[in-house]
Amino acid sequence: MPREPIKAEDLVGEEWAEWYRMTPVERFHASERLWETYLALGGSLEPEPDTQSPFFDPEEWRENAAHGRPGVRVLRRGAV
Amino acid sequence: MGGQACVFYGAAQFSRDLDILILADPANLERLRQALQELAAVSIAVPQLEESYLSRGHAAHFRCRREDVPGLRIDVMSRYRGGPDFNDLWMRRTTIEVDGEPIDLLSLPDLMDAKKTQRDKDWPMIARLIERNYFEFEGSPSDEQISLWLREIRAPELLLDVVQAHPRMAAELAPARSAVAAALTGAVDEVSRALADEEREQRRLDREYWAPLKQELEQLRRKH
Repeated sequence: MPREPIKAEDLVGEEWAEWYRMTPVERFHASERLWETYLALGGSLEPEPDTQSPFFDPEEWRENAAHGRPGVRVLRRGAV
Repeated sequence: MGGQACVFYGAAQFSRDLDILILADPANLERLRQALQELAAVSIAVPQLEESYLSRGHAAHFRCRREDVPGLRIDVMSRYRGGPDFNDLWMRRTTIEVDGEPIDLLSLPDLMDAKKTQRDKDWPMIARLIERNYFEFEGSPSDEQISLWLREIRAPELLLDVVQAHPRMAAELAPARSAVAAALTGAVDEVSRALADEEREQRRLDREYWAPLKQELEQLRRKH
């Protein structure tokens, strides 16, 4: 018996299904709003170190976050 | 060509950097240098923005210091693994208009090809890129779209649906994609296995492609 066709909600959940339904311009503006919130909450423009990228250089110079708090770093690691 | 393009195509919600694919000829590079200067962008890693590096597959990396884009990272490339000549990419590009400004993106098939890398984070992105296209056009797809879905869908259940709805085209494409051949038998486990094999092979090819370039980068870092 043929199966019921899959709906976007079933595959990716309601939030992503809603995102899929937007036009590119709507997504651009929604993304801008997310950005504003992200920056207001102290988010950084500094991309996360991408250790799987062929460009990844552990020695690469990184400045502190231009917005808000600098990135989290381990000051002391407990013995586990 | 990166996260921002994925936002426009519906596969990402935001991106913290800007990846640009350019035609690496002297005149265009000069225009790009001027634009980077206007953004107060500084080079943050080797290699420098030079045609010889870009044409071999390297990227140039910048961080902006202008007040309205502080810290924004920009990566510039002129080719990616397996990608065609820039002019072909340009002919196939998608152009959208945002607030009166045209924005040129890699076409959806080209963007998905560019994302077939060794990085974990690119694979869910490919899945979302093709799924969004499927859910937009599932009601009245063109043959070109069905062919794209059969070649690119990464969710086993969805691939089974598409194969079931378009068995003739699936049979034609099956020799070129083992996941489609498996879907024609209806065996979901086989489809999952074929998709995993496909991803593993692309990751291997990407590592192979990058091996000599990474060596060259190491040498440049030591000299720098």
